[in-house]
Amino acid sequence: MINTVGLRTLLVKEIKRFLKVWQQTVISPLMTTALYFLVFGVALGGRIDRIHGVEYIEFVIPGLIMLAMITNSFLNAASSLFQSKINGTIVDLLVSPLGTFEVLAAYVAAATVRAFLVGALVYAVAASFTGPSVNNLFWALYFGLMVSVSFSLLGLIAAIWAEKFDHLSLFPNFILTPLTFLGGVFYSIDMLPAPWDVVSKLNPILYVVNGLRYGLLGTSDVPVMSAAAAAAALATALFVIAVLLLGRGYKLRA
Amino acid sequence: MAGFRDAPPPRDPEPLRVDRVTKRFGGFVAVDELSLEIRPGEIFALLGPNGAGKTTLIHCIAGLARPTAGSIRVFGYDTGAEFRQTRRLVGLVPQEVSFDPFFTPHESLMIAMGLMGVPPDSARADALLSAFALDRHRDAYTRTLSGGMKRRLNVAKALVHRPRLLFLDEPTAGVDVELRKDLWGEVERLRDAGTTIILTTHYLEEAEQLADRIGVIHRGRLLMVEDRDVLMKRYQGGTLRARLDVPLDEIAHALPPGAQRIDRHQVAVSWSDPEALADAIQTLRSAGGLSDLAVEHTRLEDIFVELIANADDESNGERGTA
Ligand SMILES: Nc1ncnc2c1ncn2[C@@H]1O[C@H](COP(=O)(O)OP(=O)(O)OP(=O)(O)O)[C@@H](O)[C@H]1O
Ligand SMILES: [Mg+2]
Repeated sequence: MINTVGLRTLLVKEIKRFLKVWQQTVISPLMTTALYFLVFGVALGGRIDRIHGVEYIEFVIPGLIMLAMITNSFLNAASSLFQSKINGTIVDLLVSPLGTFEVLAAYVAAATVRAFLVGALVYAVAASFTGPSVNNLFWALYFGLMVSVSFSLLGLIAAIWAEKFDHLSLFPNFILTPLTFLGGVFYSIDMLPAPWDVVSKLNPILYVVNGLRYGLLGTSDVPVMSAAAAAAALATALFVIAVLLLGRGYKLRA
Repeated sequence: MAGFRDAPPPRDPEPLRVDRVTKRFGGFVAVDELSLEIRPGEIFALLGPNGAGKTTLIHCIAGLARPTAGSIRVFGYDTGAEFRQTRRLVGLVPQEVSFDPFFTPHESLMIAMGLMGVPPDSARADALLSAFALDRHRDAYTRTLSGGMKRRLNVAKALVHRPRLLFLDEPTAGVDVELRKDLWGEVERLRDAGTTIILTTHYLEEAEQLADRIGVIHRGRLLMVEDRDVLMKRYQGGTLRARLDVPLDEIAHALPPGAQRIDRHQVAVSWSDPEALADAIQTLRSAGGLSDLAVEHTRLEDIFVELIANADDESNGERGTA
């Protein structure tokens, strides 16, 4: 027995929530990413050699899309759940006949919608400079989806665990941004001296960045199948953690 | 049945059965092997000092806290294994007022309805808004509402799915007299429509006026559960205070039994039934001539204070002998 009405309500509410402040949730991340693109792609790109046979300006696009999707899926889930913890409206959710899976599904789906919206806009801006390029639509969508699911789950886990805003901002500042920058957004790990090319392979974000790069440009530092497996493993691990925490009501139900 | 669209049918007519429920926070016992049965259609007032465990007990029932031990059934459904049924049947007005700054009162009610699994019904949301005098603020940002309005919105939110068992955790704390009377009226209307209601309050007047039964909880234990009328009758009586024209010294022998002198002219006599009261007045009148007279009834408040004091004495005694 699934509370489909409840699931739909929560999903629509979560989408409305970010659309009500679309300047902040859609336009502002688009601006940030567009700036990276202008500086690293357009301004500096011409002075950097081709990587794996693609122009540098094209090379950075998948990484920037991933950066935007990671940040936005994380922030959407994390800030929504955390705010309702702080303002007390989490009670409405906790007393409702919604099970763990319905709650997860609604938050993850809403965050995925935002991540795809921002990702698509970043892609559109980039394509207006370089022309559209999709090598393999399936893999492009697959990695977009895996990333959105994984990082919205991480956002929920962070919001469940966090007791104040500082706790929450640890994640983007000290985990997501560094791992993304070191995950081959701006370079190929082939360009790194040993042992950093090997160490980089421990970074899960490397796989999703390269996976999307394969989907859009047909080039990648890692075989697409291993990237796909790594992305699925990341999503699964985060899913299991989120189910355990939410199922037990960790830090949510006294 | 029309009032409870889509809700699971009760498996048992008993709205609530709490069976030896314990809730610990670390080593601290907030609810201590507490058992309680609630009767269909009654208003039950749960009284107790700050920190007694009222909110914790309610949270265990509504799903905001997980009991450490014991079982809870709502209309025959288990609140753990069958939470989808019990949460659909229960409404909770939390002690702390909360609101979502992103949504208007109307939107908040529509969302609350949907989360409960009831297809959102705009007309029902509007009806609730007008029942709680919020129709003028239907589309305002919730943060612009006054404290009392937010509280009314919280009550309305708890009713969206027409709960059969409603918890009101200090619904009238910090609420003005007029709104308090309105809320009482609303509570009585809900009861008349068949809703079973459990409320906590620190206003004993509220319990006296509204409740069919009263329970007193202290340190996580139920000290007493009693019909309000039985309770009021058992503790019927009070104190009579009188001022006599003649100094008490001169008529000491003629005072009613148990009379206590307050000063040279004033005396207090406790009474337990109207006959005894009439006798005492008669005796005083013939003894020294009445110049003033006041009759005080024992109030629920006195009973409550006495119960708590006795319980504290006992537990001090226990500790002393341990
Ligand atoms: N989440 C928690 N963690 C630790 N202790 C808690 C928690 N919630 C409640 N307590 C403790 O449990 C006891 C009972 O609290 P509760 O809120 O149930 O009291 P109450 O009877 O509702 O009091 P009040 O009249 O002040 O609302 C208190 O001592 C409180 O400090
Ligand atoms: Mg309380």
